[in-house]
This record gives sequence, C-alpha cells and structure tokens, in this order.
Amino acid sequence: MRTFSSLLLAVVLATLPPAHALWPQPRNLRTGSDKLKLSDDFKIHLEAHVPQDMLDAISRTEDFLKKDHLQRLIVGRGSSDTNALTNAKSLSELDLYLESGADANSITTEAQKPIESRDEAYTLNVPNDGSPANITASSTLGLLRGLTTFTQLWYEVDGTIYAADVPIYTHDSPAYPYRGFMLDTARNFFPVSDIKRTLDAMSLVKMNQFHWHVVDSQSFPLQIPEFMDLSIKGAYSSSSVYTPDDVKDIVAYAGARGIDVLVEIDTPGHTSVISKAYPGHIACPEATPWDIFANEPPAGQLRLASNETTNFAANLLAAVARMFPSTIFSTGGDELNANCYDQDPDTQKSLNETGRTLEQALDVFIKTTHKAIEDLGKTPVVWEEMVLKHNVTLNPNTTVLVWEKSENAKTVAQKGYKLIHAASDFFYLDCGAGSWLGASPDSPNWCDPFKTWQHSYTFNPTANLTDDEAKLVLGGQHLLWTEQSGPSNLDSIVWPRAASSAELFWSGPGGNVSHALERLHDLSFRLQQRGVKSIPLQPLWCALRPGVCDAVPHTSVDGVVQSTSFAYHDDQVLDAGIPRHDEL
Amino acid sequence: MTQTSFPAFLLLFILLSTLTRVHALWPQPRSLQTGSEALKLSPTFDIIVSGNIHFLPLDLREAISRTKEQVKNDRLGRVVVGRGSSDQPLLFQAKQLDALYLSFGEHATMSSIADEARKPLESRDEAYLLSVPCDGSPATLVANSSLGAFRGLATFTQLWYNFNGTTYALHLPVDIVDSPSYPYRGFMLDTARHYFPVIDIKRMLDAMSWVKLNQLHWHAVDSQSFPLQVPRFMDLAHKGAYSPDEVYTPDDIADIVSYAGARGIDVLIEIDTPGHTSVISKARAEHIACPEFMPWRTFANEPPAGQLRFASPATTNFTASLLEAVATMFPSTLFSPGGDELNTNCYDQDKETQSILSSTGQNLEQALDRFVRTTHQAVIDLGKTPVVWEEMVLVHNVTLHPETIALTWISSDSVKAVAQKGHRIIHAAADFFYLDCGGGGWIAPDLAGNGYCDPFKTWQHAYSFDPLANLTTEEATLVLGGEHLLWTEQSSSANLDPIVWPRAAASAELYWTGPGGNTSDALSRLHDLSFRLQKRGVNAIPIQPLWCALRPGACDLPTTSST
Repeated sequence: MRTFSSLLLAVVLATLPPAHALWPQPRNLRTGSDKLKLSDDFKIHLEAHVPQDMLDAISRTEDFLKKDHLQRLIVGRGSSDTNALTNAKSLSELDLYLESGADANSITTEAQKPIESRDEAYTLNVPNDGSPANITASSTLGLLRGLTTFTQLWYEVDGTIYAADVPIYTHDSPAYPYRGFMLDTARNFFPVSDIKRTLDAMSLVKMNQFHWHVVDSQSFPLQIPEFMDLSIKGAYSSSSVYTPDDVKDIVAYAGARGIDVLVEIDTPGHTSVISKAYPGHIACPEATPWDIFANEPPAGQLRLASNETTNFAANLLAAVARMFPSTIFSTGGDELNANCYDQDPDTQKSLNETGRTLEQALDVFIKTTHKAIEDLGKTPVVWEEMVLKHNVTLNPNTTVLVWEKSENAKTVAQKGYKLIHAASDFFYLDCGAGSWLGASPDSPNWCDPFKTWQHSYTFNPTANLTDDEAKLVLGGQHLLWTEQSGPSNLDSIVWPRAASSAELFWSGPGGNVSHALERLHDLSFRLQQRGVKSIPLQPLWCALRPGVCDAVPHTSVDGVVQSTSFAYHDDQVLDAGIPRHDEL
Repeated sequence: MTQTSFPAFLLLFILLSTLTRVHALWPQPRSLQTGSEALKLSPTFDIIVSGNIHFLPLDLREAISRTKEQVKNDRLGRVVVGRGSSDQPLLFQAKQLDALYLSFGEHATMSSIADEARKPLESRDEAYLLSVPCDGSPATLVANSSLGAFRGLATFTQLWYNFNGTTYALHLPVDIVDSPSYPYRGFMLDTARHYFPVIDIKRMLDAMSWVKLNQLHWHAVDSQSFPLQVPRFMDLAHKGAYSPDEVYTPDDIADIVSYAGARGIDVLIEIDTPGHTSVISKARAEHIACPEFMPWRTFANEPPAGQLRFASPATTNFTASLLEAVATMFPSTLFSPGGDELNTNCYDQDKETQSILSSTGQNLEQALDRFVRTTHQAVIDLGKTPVVWEEMVLVHNVTLHPETIALTWISSDSVKAVAQKGHRIIHAAADFFYLDCGGGGWIAPDLAGNGYCDPFKTWQHAYSFDPLANLTTEEATLVLGGEHLLWTEQSSSANLDPIVWPRAAASAELYWTGPGGNTSDALSRLHDLSFRLQKRGVNAIPIQPLWCALRPGACDLPTTSST
C-alpha cells in the first residue's frame, strides 16, 4: 500500500488535516483519500438471530449518522469538500457479521463478563466504491465497538453526510481490558439522566466500566430493599435517591452500551451517614473537630471490631451486590482513621474482650465481608490501602485501585495483585479548584494542580514494572470526586478530559499529544452535538487550524508545512498490538 | 456620591452587621438590622408605588413585575438541614406581608433604570433603604433613583424561602440602609476566542444584576474572531467572524445594551487596539502588520499574530473611524480602546512600518503616541472616557487624557504604579480575578500543563483581596472598583455558567460591601446565592458537598488543625 510516491504526495497534502478523527485511535488503521457520501436510504444489516440491545445499538447508530451534523474542524468547516463530493460514491449499506461459531449473546451479557474475558475486537472495512461496508467481530460487544468507530467517520456539509479518507480498514481491539470512569454520587447527588448522559459519552470513547462510588459519609442515596432506612435517613432528600428501578435502569442502559457497572460500598471508612439509621454500627459519628477523626467531614466509620457490625456490613454488601450483575464489586477500604477507634469505647471493649489488635479485628472484618461478596461469585475491588497499609488477608484475585499516587502501582504489583490505575496525580478530575473547606482562604486542594488531558494522556501504565508485573495492569480510569461538582458542572469537568484515559487504555500509551489534540477537538465537538457539554480545549481559531497553536508550530513562517505530521496522513497498516500508527 | 449617602447610620450599622449572619443576602448590605420573627408572603402580595410619582419608567415597571415573579417562583428551600422543615412552627404565628411600598425621596428625578445605570461612574445613585416589618404592615423601599429602587428590589427577593408551598422570610423585622462602596463592579466576557450566543450574555446579565454588578465589560473582538457587526465596517465581521451565525448584529447589540440597562448594568465595549487585531487582516489586509506570522511566539503572546500598523496615518484614521463607529453603538460614557500586549518585534519586521518610521523620523513609541492620541480623541469627541489596559500607562510613553481609566491586569502589584501616575483604576488583576486560570495550558503540547496564570483563583482568594493595599489615602480615591474576567480560550457556552458562578459573586460583594469580609460567614451566604442562581436557571456550581452547605461551619478547617 505504501509507495515512495504516495509518501511524497502525503508530505505535500499534509497541509490538510486528516479527515478522520477517531477516538480512541484504532490500534491499526489504513486510510485512503477519497470521499464517500452516506446514502439517504443507508441501512445497517445484521443476519442471524439478533439480541434486542444489538438491534437498539444499530438504530442508535443510524440516528447518530443522521443527527450528529458535525462539520469538519477545518477552516470553512468542510465547504472545501463540496467539489470532491459531487463525484463521490454513496454508501447505502453496512453489513455486520458475527464470526461463525460466535455466540449471539446480548451486548450486555458480553460487557458483564469477567474483565479479561470480554471480547471487544472488531474489523471495519469501508470501501470507496459504494459497495457495502462491513464490520466483523466474534461478539456483539465487538460489533458495538465497530459501530462506534463507524459513527466517528461522518461529517456534514450543506446537508450532505460524508466520510473522507476512504477506503478505511481497521482491525482493532483494546490494549487494556478495564477502561473506566468513576463518579461519586454521595458528596453531591446526580439525577439518573446525568448518569445516562455520562454513560452515552463513555460509550462513544469505548469505555467499558462505570465505577459508581454511590454512597459515602455525606449521603446515602442508594435504596436497598433490605436496608431502606439507610437512604430514608441518609439521602440528601427523598428525591435524591436511586430506587431499585433506577439501578436496574442504569445497569441496563450501561450494559446496552458495552459498559459494566462496578458499584462501590466503601467500608469500613467513609460510612458516617449510616449512623442516621444504625447508630450502633458507627464509631465517632460526626465527631468534631472532624480532622482528628477523618480526612474530610463528617467523621464516622463502621465499628469494624464488632461482630454485629461485621455481619451487618456483610449483609449490606451482599444485598447491594445482588442488585448488580457485574462480576466485580468494590468494598472500598480507603482512608481508615485509627484515632476514631482509639476513642470509641465500644470498639475498645470489643478489642479487649477478644484480645485482638485493631488490625486483627480489621482482618476478621475484611475476611467476613469479602467472603459475602465472593460467595456471590464476585471479585472484590479495593482501594490500595487494603494492600499497602493494612495487614489483612485478601483473596489473591482481589483487584486493587491505585489512587494515592501512581508510583504505588509498583508495590501493589510486587505483592502480586491485579491493579487498576486511578492515581490522583494523573486521573483525578476534581483537582485544581482550590480547597473546598471553609475558613481556609487560599489553601490549595491536596491534589492540586488541575490534571490536564495532556498529563493523563502521557501516563505510562507500566512505568517501573517488570514484564510479569506489567501483566497485572488491567487498565485505568478517570475519577470525579464531587465535593465541588454537581449536575451544573458534571459535563464540563469530565469531558473531554476523561477521553484521554479512554484512548490511553484502548490504544495503548505513547500517543503524540499534538496529533491527539486535533482528534480530541473533533471528539469534543461531536460530544456537544450529542448533548454533552464538553468544553473547548483551545480557541476555535486553533481548533480549525491543527498544529498552528502548538508551542512549536507544525508550520513555518512562510506557510510551507514541514513534515512533522506526514505519517499521520499516509496510508499505513500496522499489526495489532504494535506501536501506534502515528509513532511511525 | 452614593458612598456617603447615609453617613449618619453607616458606622453603627457596619458594626452591627458583623454580628449577624441570619440572612443570606449577597452582596451583604452595608448596614443591616434584623429581628427574630418570621413572616409569610401573601399569595396576593403586590409591590405598590407610593407618593406623588406621576411617571414610572417602563424598565422599572418591568423590574417590579420580575421581582414579584422571583419571590413567588424561586422556591428556594433554606440551605439548612431539613431545608426549612424546622421553620414550620414559627410560621403558624407569622403575619403575612401583603405589600411592598416603593417610594422615592423628595429630590428624586425619575429617569429609567437604564439611564441612571449609564451615567458616568461616579454619578450613579444606587442607594436604597429597605424595611420589612414583622407585623404584616407593608414593607417599604425608598430610593432616590429608579436604579436605587432596582437594587433594593434585588435585595428584597433574596429574603424569601419556600417550604411546602409557603413563601416566608425569617429574622424580621429587617432594616437595611445600603449603597455601594465602589461605583464600578464589573464582569468581563471575551466573545472572540469563543463566541457566545446572545442568550448566554443575557443570562450573565441577569445573574450580574442579582448580585448588583453594574458593568459588563465586553471584550467583543480579538485576533481570533470579529463577531461584532459594525455599520460601515461590515466586512470585518463578514470575513472575521467564526461563521455567519456567530455574529452580533446591530440589533443584537441594541438588545444586549437595553437588556443590560434595564438591569442596572452599563456596557463597556472594548475594541482592543493596536494589538490583538490579527483578524482585521481578513478584510483590511493593508492595516495589519505580521498577520498570522509564524512562529507566532516571535510576534504575539498567543496565536494568531497580527497588529494594527499604527505608524501608518491611513491605519490610524481607519482605527479612529472604527472606534467611533463602535462607540456610537453603545450609550455608555466609557469606551475601551484596549492597549495590551503590544509586540514590537512584529513592527521591527514589518517593512511598511519601518519605511513609515524612516520617512517620518519617528521612533515606534512616538508613532504609538500619535496613534493613541488620534484614536482616543475620536472616543473623547463622542463624550466618552477611554478605559485602557495598564501597559498604556506603565509600559508606553504615550499621552493619555488625565481622565483615562486603567485596568490593572498583569498583577495586582501594578496598581500602585498606576495610582502614582494619577490615573483612575479598575482592579482586574490576573492573580486575583481571572476566572480562566487553573485549567492548564492550552498551547499544545504543553506537557507540564501550566497555564500562564495558574493556579485557579478561588472565590476566597478574590474575596480577600484588598483594593487599597499599599495605596496612600489620596491614591485610594483613584480606585473605582473592580471586576472578574473570563478569557475564553478554554471556555464556551458549554462551561460559561460553571466557570463564572458563583465565583464572580466574590468581587461583586467585595466592591459593594467593601473589603474585609469574613470568608466563613460569606461561605454560607454564597451557598445560598449559588442555590438561588440555580433556581433561576444559572448553572452555578456547588462549592462544597451539600452536607456542608446545610451545616454552616461544619466543614470549616478546624483551628486546631496543623495542616
């Protein structure tokens, strides 16, 4: 495909940005330079028995193609394409193929499989001669990922929907099986519609895991049939709750979009609000000054040394786990405050009676509560302290969220645990807005500064790890703790930044920031077209002129483009799993 | 001047007001007396103009209607645990307020809110007296101008909460004697890096008016785009707007100006010159030096490069005509010809400029002086006062009219030097009031991710600014007030509300109430304001978990804390 003459041509053509702006970048991609129109009677076909969520995904895709109305991010917004479009062929058919022998499971079923058994690979082929395009995969989940890529090919000018850079061929699959986003719905509440919109956006960038930090010390919005008191007394208001029907709705909505829901009931810390309904189970509830008893107000933790509390926690976790079909469940485990227990007579009494230290009592608590989860066939996911700070017995399959700092991944890996990157120094979306505590003018937030998309994009998931340790990395996620966020800034604080880890963990690390910027602009505009209030990364003037606003611009003084970006526009084929195509 | 309208009361009331945090008024009135009774709002509540007023301006009548709607429709639950449920016992005995009587002082001259708001800065009368008794007798609002009355109405709406359909106020009776500490309280919006639809600007104006801001500083155009349609210069927007839809037509402008005026807000329009003008090259190539030159860093602080060829008499005349044409579209007595970030390298490498300088024997600064005098004169001839960025005073040796007002932006440290030169000052310092800071750099591929003005400027930081720091008493009289500013390299409609609100309210109170406010006390009121803004359709963001908002003080950093 690549010849010397096409290389030369590409250098000359490089004044034009690439017409495709896929996000995440497929792991191998071959593109041409023809235009292709979308026929008015365009249809997507899928032979064989088709699960309902696949049918729905097909009709959503047809909708996106017609309604995105995204104009190309170039000066003139695509008006320069109109000439080429007069001679362009029309595409009237996209055929989906499940490989022979593949199960026609629902997307939901595939998405909810254990992390490492999910099959998200697909092959997409869009010819330039108007003959049918096709997507081939060995699972409906793979077909969904292919459809998602397909929707990102299309632009609109003067009522014509078209793709550029065809023919296009990609064989694509994720570098890492866990690509997530965490939302905290306890510091501030988010209506179901906000969560669904976020799931839509996640699906657009092929994220596959919604980590739902649903409750915390401040509020308990989750209605659990066996424990209704918790939300009745602990939700911010009777309308700030997630009913069992809401949960089903969210889980189904996510599943249909290739997203599994990892719910978290953080224990034994971060549980103050449980004291409203079950005061007997909480030590140091709302004790002041709060900073002696907790990392943030209000103080209050499960009385982990108490048998009754341990059983309560085990029953609670099991009840919640039954509401979620995922094979993973997070029991939390972060920021335990020992002082709270030192000053809790009830805990001290339990410890005296059993002759245990606090750490020994914690071990019993963890073993019991984790067993409740494992008995339901689920794998516990814990915050890093459970491995790094406490001496507790964990199932070797337990998966660890590395959060305090990215360098802790090494120690977690050395202990042999599978890990998810969730480091505050790279992936915390809330950092950088200053302290939210009162009476603290000018104090920085503990995790300042703001984590830019460039910063997370350049993260190396296997830094300092041996080859064996690197195998323990399942992927990673951006996280939004919501002390300073609510529905009013959910979209703007998350998008498009969270897309940077979506690409990092799908396409693999090492991407070029300047090239990514052009595509990220495109994604941000497409998100806006779909109703997500994604924010601009640069003035529109820059977005329309790729490279020109770089610190060291791609273009030189007299306007002749240098060759720094030629490879990006060239036809090329890469083997799956080998470095990204824009590194060549 | 309003500052001294009620001198006899002020001292006493300022002392008293530090003792109370029972109301959640924003900005905090400069004097406030409160009681401990509750009061319900009658379903037939009305605002009645009393006294011998023969003519009530239309915009005041409309403001009265909006006020009645707001007190009924805000439906804000008190920001306390239970959201007001614990107030219910008080309401059984509470009297009902049937009416607010609005009257004007003996010497009041009835002009519209807009006319009053557009007066020269120091002649605007924003003072008012508001009394709400607890016995059900009518509340009274007294002012000397429709603008003062409007400010009082804004305060009145902030007294009311709702629980289960009952609208009520607490801590009555309330007596307020209020007027601003500083005459200029603004917000600047840049509509050139990104375009904002008129509806966004109107929503900003609404929010501004609720916190008694009185000046929209509209940085309408810049190097990236020229969305302003200027009669006789229509080609500038035609060729320089981001798209044919992303323009402000003369009708839009008239609409914005009148919407602002009716809300007590004057519009200070800025046409930044001679720098920040690259986009003019699209329509008038001959007037721009180094247009879109690369590498841009050599020629400008941000891309694209391009500045007015100010040494050219033709360009100077073009600019003077342009400024004049824009200035006539805006009724304000203020006009900003900009003047920041001039890049001399652009001119050093511009043959046209060099040839003019050689033939006239002028150096660049002399040519600039001529340009500034000519263009400013065009503005002054229309009876307007130029407002310039600080470089015009501090960096360049140009002749400015002594009335010229300087925006101090590079650093709050510049204020002293500007004051020493005798110019009046509007605080607009990047290190306190730039709302865009802290989002990381937007120049790719800035891996360090630092924007030039990181970190993020918190509301607490702006709130604790001292407008008179290091100034002598005489220099202090030059301080007109200040503003928060939003440069929109990384902002658009998508994040306008959350990046501005409630932070911009911090300077609104700073310049109305005066400096020295306590941030802990302010926090609980700012929560209240943020929630009220949300009720009125502005996406203000939470500044703490709701748990903290409902429990004033509970999330303060304990004084025992070592961190």
